[in-house]
Amino acid sequence: MNFNLQWTWFHRLGSPRWFYQKTQRWLPWLAVITLALLAVGLIWGLAIAPPDAKQGNSFRIIYLHVPASVVALAGYYIMAISGAVGLIWRIKLSFMLMRSAAPIGAALTFIALVTGAIWGKPTWGAYWVWDARITSMLILLFLYFGVIALRHTYSNNESADKAGAVLSLVGMVNVPIIYKSVDWWQTLHQPATIKFTSAPSMHPDMFAPLVVMIIGFYSFYSLALILYTRAEILRREYRASWAKQLVSHQPAEK
Amino acid sequence: MYFDSLQQLLWMNGHGIYVWSSFVISILVMVGLIVRPLKQKQVAIKNIELQIKLQASKQAATQQEVADAPHS
Repeated sequence: MNFNLQWTWFHRLGSPRWFYQKTQRWLPWLAVITLALLAVGLIWGLAIAPPDAKQGNSFRIIYLHVPASVVALAGYYIMAISGAVGLIWRIKLSFMLMRSAAPIGAALTFIALVTGAIWGKPTWGAYWVWDARITSMLILLFLYFGVIALRHTYSNNESADKAGAVLSLVGMVNVPIIYKSVDWWQTLHQPATIKFTSAPSMHPDMFAPLVVMIIGFYSFYSLALILYTRAEILRREYRASWAKQLVSHQPAEK
Repeated sequence: MYFDSLQQLLWMNGHGIYVWSSFVISILVMVGLIVRPLKQKQVAIKNIELQIKLQASKQAATQQEVADAPHS
């Protein structure tokens, strides 16, 4: 029956073993695509694109700052939704994804904050300002830290998973606040460069490399998420017979 | 290329220090995001290998016990 088929697909997707084996083949492709996108985007953005009329060359930080911020925010949704799916359908793999998403999201938020601070110096004259956008991004960093820390406060995986999922879901309130912060509070941070509702406030020569970098960062995120999740699967499934078979058949695998 | 020389690309009219430090920090963090899970995976594989050895030695021990048991 059609209905049954759909559910076998869903459950297979939830199987750590299936994920581990399937992603093995994706990894080399994803790595090559990611490297190519980031290389093209960075060379284009840092060396070829024209400088900004007002900010000069410091605006080139946008090619790291915006993609990192965009994916750090999207990554929070991925983490929270994985947590919710884990809570509702009790899928182990979903919790593993949630846990893997936390350090990646934290690192990308860190990149967004640090590059933003460095950009702030030549543009605003200060590394740090308690601006609404920056403060809400800092809260995002702490939320990610919270989910990472919860892992170590419980001795059993199940409780840690549930607590992490609840914290992720509660923290989701912060994400729309970050998006809207530049509109709600008129402060230093410039308004969004890219909006769904209107054309980008940027010249096409500057905008094209930014799009390449954003796609590159999403690709990088998928790569890192798969790598973290695979490590997490092996860490947790050490008693599973498939994992033992995998290790004993290919001991030199890296 | 927008810049005339490599020096200009590095200097960026005085903004080079900001742009390139952002670049280096971002790349370092991103490399870390790839290296760390690979290391974690190696640790997990070692743990599984240990489990396999433990299981094998346990099996050997029970077989030894069976063999040593006095036959009545």
